[in-house]
Amino acid sequence: MTRFATGWAIFQGLLIEALPFLLLGVSIAGLARWLVPQSTWIKRLPRHPLLAPVVGALLGFALPACECGNVPVARRLLASGAPLGTGFGFLFAAPVLNPIVLASTWAAFPDQTWLLWGRPIGAFLIAIALSALLGLLPESSLLASALLEERRLSQPLSRVGLLERRSGLVGVDFNASERRLEEVPLRPAELLQHSTREFLSLLTLLVFGCALAAAVQTWLPRSWLLALGSGPTVSVLALMLLALVVSVCSSVDAFLALGFAAQVTPGALLAFLLLGPVVDLKLAGLFTVLLSTRAIAITAVAASLLVLLIGQWVNLVLL
Amino acid sequence: MPRLNRIRQARYLPPLVLLLWGWLLVWSSVSARLDLLLNAVFHPVVAIAGVVLMVLGAVQLRSAPRLKTPLNPLSWLVSVAVALLVLLFPPAPSFSDLAANRSEALPEAPRLSFFLPPEQRTLTEWVRLLRSQPDPNLHAGDPVRISGFVLQRPGMQPQLARLTVRCCLADATPAGLPIDWPANADPKPDEWLAVEGTMTTQTKDGLLINVVKPTTIQSIPRPERPLEP
Repeated sequence: MTRFATGWAIFQGLLIEALPFLLLGVSIAGLARWLVPQSTWIKRLPRHPLLAPVVGALLGFALPACECGNVPVARRLLASGAPLGTGFGFLFAAPVLNPIVLASTWAAFPDQTWLLWGRPIGAFLIAIALSALLGLLPESSLLASALLEERRLSQPLSRVGLLERRSGLVGVDFNASERRLEEVPLRPAELLQHSTREFLSLLTLLVFGCALAAAVQTWLPRSWLLALGSGPTVSVLALMLLALVVSVCSSVDAFLALGFAAQVTPGALLAFLLLGPVVDLKLAGLFTVLLSTRAIAITAVAASLLVLLIGQWVNLVLL
Repeated sequence: MPRLNRIRQARYLPPLVLLLWGWLLVWSSVSARLDLLLNAVFHPVVAIAGVVLMVLGAVQLRSAPRLKTPLNPLSWLVSVAVALLVLLFPPAPSFSDLAANRSEALPEAPRLSFFLPPEQRTLTEWVRLLRSQPDPNLHAGDPVRISGFVLQRPGMQPQLARLTVRCCLADATPAGLPIDWPANADPKPDEWLAVEGTMTTQTKDGLLINVVKPTTIQSIPRPERPLEP
């Protein structure tokens, strides 16, 4: 019973801490939709396979949000018809490549210059690699079905396969149909209603993620992970597992890492700071509004392998 | 079933759920519940988010158009149920249980505290100071006035401890000091105590360590802000 009470408290702590950031993310997504009509900038985003994720990753500086907040923003980007690479680049890199997170990393590790460069560069590389990998899958098996529907509505018909068009629009003049699909902007009341629904859906998924993270934290002693030692590979794996379990927000994870910085290898430290913003238990639910189950699994495995490689390489160089 | 459908399409349902969550965040801020859950840095953020949610809920309650498609029952049922559960069942964690699972690697101090007179140092400041200065004899004889909860780890003497938190309870890290408990003392896990005494040294497993020798031990209620940054 005591354990359960402790788990319940951890759950409340995680949820209440994450909620303002989720609200911030949904607000940014809503405001971006209202203030900037899709047609003016979404269409100007580059579709080049390399340039698209680069632009997406750099968008983090304009739309700062941690990993909970950037899910709704990334969803809005993709639903509005942004190139997949841009959406994924933003989704995976923006939780690190934004001013708030970089400042907190600097505040926590002012004397570890390599980490101040290593974290953003690592996050950037991971985002590019994941975007390229996910880009190999067809959209229909990559995105969550609701998002796919929404995205098709905002795309020119020329980019949607004939069998995927659900209306009798085949043969309609391309320009005319494209203009119609751009839609009139939403009224503020409708926008607010839409954002509220989005917030409530994401909140439900966040609740499940926090419950999972709290349960694992309560019943899996963290000391076991840290006790896994100082081996170059084992320590990286242990800290990756810790990032997965702890699920703290990317804007404060550097301070948490500071707590065990002295006990672990530098590669393990970087691995903790790189993996948490991309994959953690709290995000497991949130990602389902963006990606299919298969794509989530691919993301989790690929991100883990990349982080493991980066961590080991850092250990090779610095140890 | 038609009634359920009417509820799901009611335009006031989403704003009411927002109001409920807004109230939950504001109430958590006002009732000092956050002191048990989060680092103080985040308290204003939570309060502001609560007010924003309440304002958004109230605005929509007046002017929201009718829902074109019904809400997903899972989304509002889970939201409402969890909000009510959180409101009804405040957090009551066992600090000892939390600490027992965690590493003892303390985060760096948010400010320098080395120059505080010994009797003004908190338990966490003592632990940071002792870890940063390897010679236990430096502080032998210093007066100690600290408070904390009794941390009982398996196979070890009970310590007096505090939890430090950077973000939320999920990253709570214990800071514990060994106490030379008098023979008549019976410290119970999670019990909050105020201890006054002197810093001494003892040899344990061939190592010289600092141990607090109490002159008075007093049972106290859990402080309003039990977590330290």
